[in-house]
Amino acid sequence: MLLKLAWRNIFRQKRRTFLTLMTMAGGFVLSSLSIGWMNGSYSSIILFFTNNRTGQIQVHHEGYLADPSIYSTIDNYEQVGLLLDSFPDVRTWAPRIYTGALLAIKPDAAAGQASNAFSNSAAASVIGIDPTREQEATGFSDQITEGEMLTASYADTSLSSTGQILLGKELAITLDASVGDSLILLSQAANGAVADKRYVVVGIVSTGNTQIDRRTSYITLLDAQNLFALEGEAHEIAILSRNFNEVDNLNTAISERLIGRNLETNSWKVFAKEFYNGMKADESSLEVMIFIIVLVAAMGVLNTVLMMVLERRREFGVMKAMGTRPGFIVRMIMLEANIMGFISILLGSIISTAGLLFLSKHGIVLDPPLDYGGTVFREMVASISPDCYWIPAVCVILTASIVSWIPALKAAHTKPAKALRTV
Amino acid sequence: MANEKVIDAKGIIKIYDDSGVPVHAVRGIDYTLTKGEFTAIIGPSGSGKTTFLNVITGLDSPTEGEVWLSGRLLSEMSGNELSDFRRDHIGFIFQAYNLFPVLTVEENVEYIMLLQGVPKEERHSRVISMLEKVGLADYASRLPSRLSGGQQQRVAVARAMVSKPSLVIADEPTANLDSKTSGALLDMMRQLNEDTGMTFLFSTHDEIVMKRAKKLVVLTDGKLDENNPPEEYE
Ligand SMILES: Nc1ncnc2c1ncn2[C@@H]1O[C@H](COP(=O)(O)OP(=O)(O)O)[C@@H](O)[C@H]1O
Ligand SMILES: [Mg+2]
Repeated sequence: MLLKLAWRNIFRQKRRTFLTLMTMAGGFVLSSLSIGWMNGSYSSIILFFTNNRTGQIQVHHEGYLADPSIYSTIDNYEQVGLLLDSFPDVRTWAPRIYTGALLAIKPDAAAGQASNAFSNSAAASVIGIDPTREQEATGFSDQITEGEMLTASYADTSLSSTGQILLGKELAITLDASVGDSLILLSQAANGAVADKRYVVVGIVSTGNTQIDRRTSYITLLDAQNLFALEGEAHEIAILSRNFNEVDNLNTAISERLIGRNLETNSWKVFAKEFYNGMKADESSLEVMIFIIVLVAAMGVLNTVLMMVLERRREFGVMKAMGTRPGFIVRMIMLEANIMGFISILLGSIISTAGLLFLSKHGIVLDPPLDYGGTVFREMVASISPDCYWIPAVCVILTASIVSWIPALKAAHTKPAKALRTV
Repeated sequence: MANEKVIDAKGIIKIYDDSGVPVHAVRGIDYTLTKGEFTAIIGPSGSGKTTFLNVITGLDSPTEGEVWLSGRLLSEMSGNELSDFRRDHIGFIFQAYNLFPVLTVEENVEYIMLLQGVPKEERHSRVISMLEKVGLADYASRLPSRLSGGQQQRVAVARAMVSKPSLVIADEPTANLDSKTSGALLDMMRQLNEDTGMTFLFSTHDEIVMKRAKKLVVLTDGKLDENNPPEEYE
């Protein structure tokens, strides 16, 4: 009976009910699309960011992240790597050495002319990478815009030989160096000795992040180990996970496995803290947006429920006179609001699904492109997740319940004598 | 049994004071109504009929005095108790019919039994027999909006009586009906009173209604008119 009454009451004022349903369903769809959109953008940004550069998890010597020193190394990184390979969720890993050096170029060095003046020099960070592993992990060669990748089998690491080096695009411009030019790398090794070696530029790297490309060069890991007296060591192991959603769990599992080695394991949320915080900030702006949508929808619903209650004052008076308990009336009105909420959710889900499917296939071209921490995104697609449905659904039901509560109480406490007198 | 008191009201005074100017609507009434009566309270508009009926049915509380209804003192009951008491003991017929517009004739009559928790089978058979008594068995599945005023008021009578209350209260039940329909409605109500022994108390200032009452009570200016003693018909 309660259900029958509520159901029929809803359809008394078809036009108003229709408008209310549209308001609630509209709120649902807007929230749903925003969530799908936001999630989609984030997962693509995060995945892009971590897959192309950082990995989702990194292993360092304890304290390295806070104070990156050349001496804070992972000893016997290959052994650590073997441990990592035993985790099914670890797709692959890549070791890296991070140092700094002065790079100096002699314009005529290639021509063999004696000259004491270096024409150009720049301080740069030097990253030692394992070409094979790096390729497997981050698809490094995709970022080489000119020339070639470091040769994996390049084994001649003696200081007297000529090594291979990759220069970041802007760094190459600063040095006025191009593929085939040779340069001198000057630094200090971990044992205090002078590190000094001649290199030939084999390629130019463009990560898409000019900050990085302005100051970064790459040599092979073996070369770096030898040059900086870090035999068998690395500063970082970047881990690529198979399952992005399981990164936190994997991180914990790896940490536990590496206990006692003076190593620390962190997920991208820590080592890419700025990036992560930026994302969190955006997430709270999503929350604000949903809050506003809910508020606007709530006003519409409140208006409807209030009108409904005022119009039916006399009827509530009759119900009360006949001995209907206030609780019955409260339940009836809340049920009316919630039925409308429920219909809106159904309606909204259908529209949202269509919208999300469209946005997940076609995406929206960003013009101008979005620059996120130096990485540029040109197109964003939405991702469909349970969040896109249950969050708006909970909002709709909560809104309907909260908003109808006061009018329902008002109706339930109608004074029959008064309500019946007003004709 | 014949002298069983359905209503026993003592020293009822009702003063409205919501507008700041006190209105003395009922100025001291002692009144008893016994089982099986079919009584009309008559009096001009503004004489306090509605106020008095509201007070004796617990829809409004008196400023002074006490009301005993079927042996219970109304002022002692809590909100829900009073609701349940009205549901079980009083049938209401309103001037403006006041059927639930979204419910069919049948459902309108059934409503109060649902509140009472009467089992489905019994509800159904009681609705049918009640609708037969008021001559509307063929209209069971219609919505009130598709009935004439007289028919709607007959549904209201059925709705008021179906729960077998101790008392049926009707405040100017014919005010919205033409004289022919009014007469017919009252004849029907009186017949039901005689058939079932149910007690009726209604207010009116309509000759046609007065003529059909078994007993008249005159109300003037918030007081029962002693100089105009109630006439006994029959
Ligand atoms: N809620 C109220 N506030 C103030 N005065 C009222 C109220 N209800 C009724 N009255 C006054 O009380 C008197 C009796 O009214 P009522 O009981 O409706 O009489 P009747 O039903 O006989 O027409 C009238 O003067 C009326 O104006
Ligand atoms: Mg009146």
